Amino acid sequence: MNSAAIPEQEGRSPSSDLVGLTPKRFRKKKLIARFLAHAYRDPVLPPNTKKPAALIYGADDRLSAGIALSNGLQHVGLISINLVYPLLICRLVGAPIPVVEDMLAIGMMVLAFGTIIQVLRLGPIGSGLMLPSTFTATYFAPCIIAARIGGLPLAFGMTLFAGGFEAVIAPLLNRLRTFLPVELSGLVIFMISVTIGIAGMRQMLGPTAGPVSGAEWAVAATTLGSMAALNIWAKGLARMLCALIGLIIGYISALATGVLTLPLLDPVFRAQWLGIPHVRHVAWSFDATLMAPFAIASVAAAMKAAGTVTICQKMNDANWVRPDMQSVTRGVLADAVTTVVAGLFGTFGTNTSTPSAGLASATGVASRNVALAAAAVFFALGFCPKLTAMLAIMPRPVVVAALLYALAFILINGLQIMMSRMLDARRTFVLAFGIIGGLTVEIFPNSVKLLPDSIAAIAGSSLVTATVIALLLNLVFRIGVRKTATLLIEREQIDPQKIDDFFIKQSNTWGARPDVAKRASFGVIQLVDAVAENCWSHGAMAVRASFDEFRMEIVITYPGEKIEFPDERPSADQIRDSDEGARLLAGFMLKRNADRVRSATKEGRCTVHFHYEH
Amino acid sequence: MDVIEQLAGSVTILEPRGRIDSVTAKEFGERVINLLNIGRHQLVIDLNSISYISSAGFRQLLIAKKSTLEKRGKLALCGISGEVKRLFDIGAFDELLPVYSTREESIASMQ
Repeated sequence: MNSAAIPEQEGRSPSSDLVGLTPKRFRKKKLIARFLAHAYRDPVLPPNTKKPAALIYGADDRLSAGIALSNGLQHVGLISINLVYPLLICRLVGAPIPVVEDMLAIGMMVLAFGTIIQVLRLGPIGSGLMLPSTFTATYFAPCIIAARIGGLPLAFGMTLFAGGFEAVIAPLLNRLRTFLPVELSGLVIFMISVTIGIAGMRQMLGPTAGPVSGAEWAVAATTLGSMAALNIWAKGLARMLCALIGLIIGYISALATGVLTLPLLDPVFRAQWLGIPHVRHVAWSFDATLMAPFAIASVAAAMKAAGTVTICQKMNDANWVRPDMQSVTRGVLADAVTTVVAGLFGTFGTNTSTPSAGLASATGVASRNVALAAAAVFFALGFCPKLTAMLAIMPRPVVVAALLYALAFILINGLQIMMSRMLDARRTFVLAFGIIGGLTVEIFPNSVKLLPDSIAAIAGSSLVTATVIALLLNLVFRIGVRKTATLLIEREQIDPQKIDDFFIKQSNTWGARPDVAKRASFGVIQLVDAVAENCWSHGAMAVRASFDEFRMEIVITYPGEKIEFPDERPSADQIRDSDEGARLLAGFMLKRNADRVRSATKEGRCTVHFHYEH
Repeated sequence: MDVIEQLAGSVTILEPRGRIDSVTAKEFGERVINLLNIGRHQLVIDLNSISYISSAGFRQLLIAKKSTLEKRGKLALCGISGEVKRLFDIGAFDELLPVYSTREESIASMQ
């Protein structure tokens, strides 16, 4: 632990406030104290977690209200740019200003709710990590289609469906990796940004857009230019909040050039400083033909949430090796529940905020208290109608500039994810044909008119078309992707170096990660050590290693008895003083070394199966 | 497996090189016992040059710890990193064995 920089934990026991209460109140307060202890006060990181030197406040560290609030405000400033997504969806379907105001106010409260349930651990929900919620580009394209077909109620109803779908796939994410490889999530992210970029540009240049004045072009250039300039050349807080500052500059330039006139500002003048948002716009409807685009978007949201939780795990642990899938699942479930609540209260899908994870990494402040402070700020802002009215009347060039700024990072992020893999012929075809298919739908929207109506609704989305093409090709091209090799070990000629060399050679040939090859090599050598004396009776041991990009499987077969793989390490006395204790230690280490172990004996031959995630 | 042996005052430093597995563990264990038998009761084992250690190796380290205590001596381990550190972690051996970051810290612990 980096003790020099760490503030002391509060160390209060949940029962310290319970003295002097009546029995009934005592029980009630004790229950609440227990709930809070479990949901928030108990450490979220494993006991052996080592805090990285660059991290000042880890997830479990407590900090003062002042530091928490100032950091929380930074996160709110960072996230607020994404309010442009629900705003533009409402604009595209011509929602009236009061509805937009209510939707934004409720939206901010939903973000507060999502941030809180992520940081708490309620049942199976919540990673416990500092991960604020934000509106996401992921649901943008499906929501536009839904809102155009059935108005906002259909967008809200399908958002409910998307949240539910995300909750269903959350526990299955790890097993779905074969069907959803990393490069495919890169393609989805890339296509999301392309869809948004084109939707934004259609606001200015599309066939149904009003003519763009010179002043509007100037406001768009000033807004986008200031955001980009601050991001590139500014330092500290100005750089961190460049999008928010750019938005303010956009409003000022719109006022100065007459793009934003006094009559347009009327809803802001009429709005109160404090007020409770209405839910009169909330209604839901569903359309089965839209399930595919929303399901694909929710898979993308789940994958992104899983990625962000992983970033936070890594940020908090200097010895991080691989994602803690339990924490990932809890984080994705919290994300899913937030999207369900968003649909329920009449706003759009949310996701964990990746820029917030970046900000926490940059500032070294990843305490859960910051997330609570950010949630409090969002919740308070939801009761400020003047602010939501100001956002609701955002001038067209400012909306488009903000959108282009936000999507620039998403687009490049998508490209980076795609290029992070070694692009062999299989992946090249999957990605290239997916992108071409998606762009074809954007450039030639009439091309889907040849299809039956039920399919046209799905194929009309470039995101869905690109994803479906890539998913199908990925499945087809997986034929023959698994590689195998076998090593025979004679009982009388055991050579650990030979086993090690086998794994080094095979991992180089297959492109397997060295750390996985080392674990596999240790597993075989340790097993040979453990069984050679008593369990392996005679003859040769066959080691069959197989590999694809997601896993390495080692199947070891030898004539003889199987060894035990205990969950608990034997005591020091057992290990030292008996051969049985030494064997149990070997079994314990083998179990911990692999991601999954199983063994069976049949007709005098034992088979041990080691599974390593890749 | 080679073992480099050095003296730092009354402390004997052992630096095994290569692998401590079922083939070499016994030989290494015997080397430690021999040192204790000739009166060298303060031992530092520097694992910096070890590329692999199996459960048999860990067993020998636990035997070495007990034997040292029986002779009223002291044992300290250091130089644990990379793959060896991973193996220490999966067996949680830092709970059972006295582990220090550096050779200097190990020697200082003997005082």
